[in-house]
Order: sequence, then C-alpha cells, then structure tokens
Amino acid sequence: MSDVQVRDLVVEFVHDGYAVRPLDGMSFDARGGELAVLLGPSGCGKTTLLSCLGGILTPKSGSIHLGDIDITGLGPRKLEAYRRDHVGFVFQAFNLIPSLSARENIALPMVLTGRDRRAAFERADELLEIVGLSDRANHRPAKLSGGQQQRVAVARGLGNDPPLLIADEPTANLDHIQAEAIIRLLQELRAQGRTIVVSTHDARLVPIADQLIQMLPGNAEVEQPTHQVTLAAGESVFEQGDRSDLVYVIDSGEVDIIRVKVDGSEDFLNRIGAGQYFGELGPFLGFPRSASARAHGDVVLTAYNPRVFRSQVLHQH
Amino acid sequence: MILLTLRDLRFRAVRFVVVTLLGAVVFSLLFVMTGLVEQFHREPFDTIGGFGASTWVIAEGITGPFTAASTMPAGSVESVDAATTAPVVTSRSSITVGNDAEQVILIGHDPGALGAPRTIEGRAAQGPGEVVVDEKIGAAVGDMVEVGGVTFTVVGHSSDTTMLAGVPLVFMVTQDAQDLAFRSRDVISGVLVDGDFGAVPAGTVAVDADDVAEDLLAPLEGAIASVDLVRVLLWIVAGVIIGAVVYLSALERQRDFAVLKAIGVSNRTLLASLAMQAVLVALASVALAAFLQMFLAPAFPLKVTVPTRAFWQLPLLAVVMALVAGAVGMRRVAKSDPALAFAGAGA
Repeated sequence: MSDVQVRDLVVEFVHDGYAVRPLDGMSFDARGGELAVLLGPSGCGKTTLLSCLGGILTPKSGSIHLGDIDITGLGPRKLEAYRRDHVGFVFQAFNLIPSLSARENIALPMVLTGRDRRAAFERADELLEIVGLSDRANHRPAKLSGGQQQRVAVARGLGNDPPLLIADEPTANLDHIQAEAIIRLLQELRAQGRTIVVSTHDARLVPIADQLIQMLPGNAEVEQPTHQVTLAAGESVFEQGDRSDLVYVIDSGEVDIIRVKVDGSEDFLNRIGAGQYFGELGPFLGFPRSASARAHGDVVLTAYNPRVFRSQVLHQH
Repeated sequence: MILLTLRDLRFRAVRFVVVTLLGAVVFSLLFVMTGLVEQFHREPFDTIGGFGASTWVIAEGITGPFTAASTMPAGSVESVDAATTAPVVTSRSSITVGNDAEQVILIGHDPGALGAPRTIEGRAAQGPGEVVVDEKIGAAVGDMVEVGGVTFTVVGHSSDTTMLAGVPLVFMVTQDAQDLAFRSRDVISGVLVDGDFGAVPAGTVAVDADDVAEDLLAPLEGAIASVDLVRVLLWIVAGVIIGAVVYLSALERQRDFAVLKAIGVSNRTLLASLAMQAVLVALASVALAAFLQMFLAPAFPLKVTVPTRAFWQLPLLAVVMALVAGAVGMRRVAKSDPALAFAGAGA
C-alpha cells in the first residue's frame, strides 16, 4: 500500500526570534496510484510539505503516513532508509551531478546505498530506456537539454522503485515541448500504481491531477461585510499567525502593533491612532498575520474585507 | 563511492592537476629537508666510523677533539693500555686548489694505522708531502694543493669524510699535520684506540667514538632546528593547499551532497568520498615529489641523504595531514542540509 495520509501537519521555523508557520494544520490524503498536485504561490509551504513527505524535514506536530509507515515517528537512521527505499525525488533544478554521465547519475544513488554495482548499472539502463534516453546514456548533464536532464532526474528518482514519487516544480524550467514529455512520463508512472505528489505553479499539470490541493494561505472563503468592532484596553484585534481576512480603520482610540517572539517576549513595532488603517498586507497578499494588534485603551474600529477596503477606503487615503 | 570521487577528480582535472603539482613541489622540498636533517645526523657517525677507532683518548676538560683545541704529549700513545692504538692530530685549516680556497679539517695519522682513510681512488698518504682529500674538494689525484700554506701532492680520494655540515677532511701523515697545526712534533690531539683498553694517562679521558660523533652535532643544533622549523612550515603549507582544495570542492558540491543526502545516501559515505579525494591528491603529490626530489637534491650545496623510511613515512603523514586538512570541508558536508536539494527551500 502506498496511500499517503497527512494529518494536522504543523511546521514552524524560527526566524529572527519569531515563529513562522508555512504549514499550520495541513491535512490531505492521496491514494496509491494517484497524482496529487499541490498548487499555490511561492511561500505557501509547498516545498515544505514535500520536504516533510520525503522525510527531510521533521514537522513540529501532526502525522504523515505512507502505507503503514509513520514517517513522523522515524529516527534519523530510519528516515535515511525511508528516503532511500520508499521515496523518489525530482527537483526543480534537476540537481544532477555535473561530473557524472546520465547513466552514472541514475546508478550512483543505488551504488552508494549498497546495491551491487553491476545490478545498479543494469537498472540505470532499464530506466534510461523507460525515460527514452538510452542514446544519451554517456552524456554529462551539460550536454543534455533541460527536458532531458529532468527525465534523467525522474529516472534517478525511480532507481529503487519507490512507491512514492515527489516532484518539486518538475516543469518549471522547461519549454512546453519538454514539459509535455515530463507530464506524459508522470502519467505513465502513475499508471504503474505509484503515488505521485507534485508541487507546481504550472496550470498544465492541473488537467491530469487526480487531486488538486490548494495551498493558498487560509484566507476567508466568504467575504465578510463591513462592520464595527469595539474593544477594551488590552483586547486583541488579531494575533500573529492568524489568518488574514479583514483590514481595519481606527475610528477612535489607539492600537499597538506588536511582534511576538518564540521565547514569549514582545517587540513593540508601532502605535497608530484614529484615521489610520492597519492589517491590509496580509489579506492583499494571502499571508497570515505577521504581528499582533492590541487595543491601547478603548478603541472603535471599522473592519472591511480587502475588496471593499481597496475600492472604498484605500483611494481616499 | 570511488566512482563519485574519481569522476569529480576528472571533472575538476585542471584544478586537481595544479594542486597536485603545487603539493608535489612542497612535498619534494620536504623530502629534501628530511634528507638534509638525515645527512646532518648521519655525517659525523659515518666520518668518525671511518677512523676505525672505538675509543678516542683526549685531553681532560674538552667536549671533543673537533669542537675544542687541545693537545697532549706525543708519548701518550704508549701510555694507553690497549692492543691497538695510534696518534691522531686534528685541526681546522684551509686548502687552496688552483685559485679556490676552502675550509677543511686536517687529520694527521700514522701510515696504515687507525685514522688512515679508506680511499676510493689512489692510496693513503705514506710519507711527508702527501695528502688524501675528500672527493668533494675537487682536486684530482696527482694535483698539487696548498694546505695551510704548504704544498702537498694529492695521492688519493676519500668519500663521505666530511663533518660540521659538509666541511671536508684532508688526511696526511702525523708529522706533517703536527708541523701545520702545532709547529711541534712533541704534541698530538689524541689517541685512537680500537678494542678493549685499560688505563689512560693522567690528564686525559677516554671517549666513546659515538660520543665524539654526537659532540660534532652540537654546533649544528641551530641549523637542524631551523630546518625542522622549515619542515613544519612546509607541512602547514601542504595542509593548507590540500585543505583549501577539499573545502572548495565541498563548497561547490554542497548541492550535490544535499541531493545525495536527500535520496538516502549516508553522511558517512559522503564524508568517505571527500576524504578519499583528499588522500588521493596527497598521495599523488607525494608520489610526484618522490620523483622530483631526485632532481632537486643534487642542486643543494649540502649533501642530501633521503632515508628509505621517508618514502613510507611521508605518504603516511601526508594521508593523516590530508584528513586533518580536509576536516573543515568534511564538516561542511556533514552539516549540509538535504533540504537544500529543493530549489527555494523553506517555501
């Protein structure tokens, strides 16, 4: 079984003392033989999710299962074996080793992970046949086109016949002819019963996906109407890391903008008063809140959804 | 592992050839310096051994017959209770061959007795006006030379008869040496003894031949320490060269290593690959240096005797040095994050 099950995945990076969560409560399932496509803008956590699926990154909380393997419960040695035996990687930048021929690039990981040298090269020849590059076997990456390099990279990922293939932007650096060849190859690999998880910006992959996973940050799916908010001193307008859905204009009183650090300490960033607005960038860009906003004394705010704010308020400022 | 190592060496061949050549120059200097130190240590023992005496009887209160001037009565020879004895005269002097003058150490001996040189050409001095000179002096057998202002005929050549870092010996009969050194035939510098001996005359001491040789090393201590320091510096230079190239390789191949780690290759395997690269460069440099030193050594004004042990000790030390020097690069590989394999990691 090569079903992938991701539950409540949280990944947190600490940057300059404050925490950033590219993944916050992510869950999805992909069945064996399914092609799951992760769609979303840069910075939304696609690569982070792939790193977790591939056993390269350990999440803060949540679980990932591939079949009956609990990946999040594996130690470093077992993760190494998991990556070697159960996962094939295809990277956006191809990442072939420049000193090795196409054949050696495919065989090397198998040799380095203990497979008999002759068997590894025989398997490399088979894989070159599968990706249609037998005639380029002895060419180094510099002598291959981008598409050919990516096909070699896919072949390398299949060396140990892994049940899960994860591909990060596999068509990003390719023209449409080369991209088509890679997409066709992914379809063929899926047909063999392999689970494939692909992160991409490329809409060309959407029609062949069995499952589309939108990785947009958690913005409000339903626009909220404009409304007034009244807060007492110290009450929170929003907290750092919250989903960004509204922009606030201060009718009366003052609001403190504060960045909360991992150790619990707080950096005071700004104090804004009546007539000023705040919290607009998160909803516009689709990012979570990068700071907390708290009432400094009693405060009255008007909350707008971003579309209304842009059309009715922003041009007046 | 060896595939990755060798292919990378081939891929960056120009750099590795340049580094190997640089390393070879440094290692060949190390061979020569090792040969110099070896020669410094070996020279007095070879030369003193050539006198054929197991013991030297010298005046009390001096450290050795070549490092301090002293005399004893010529009759002391008969006063030494031993089966085989012979007088010896030692003195600093100079020799002029044609227009060239150089410092020498003058040895006076009785014909056919202890102290007479083994000649490689011609014969030993048998009577007045004859000398045997070390081949290094460059005077041919039959040439007339001046020693201490007196003309002598060269009747033979000796070999490996130098001391104090290359000062050649000139052998002549005792009387000639006494005339030149003391202007008196009543005194000698010491008595050579071979085999067991009993009492020695008052005011003299018996010194083992090895101690005489050891005493000759004392004036060279500074020179030997200097050469040793140069050797240490050369090791550091070799280490920096190999360490730098391994570090550069680790830096350039960071993504390669990240990819290999990501796909399940162990840290240990990758480190071994980089270590092997460092060791191969070091060994190639040493092998080339072993060849280069054959051309470099004769160019040195001092005799260079590279000991056989240097040909296995140096490669062994070079391997250890390469591993230590490569450690910084290897540390970088060990710490490289497999997530780097993903473009835009952290997204």
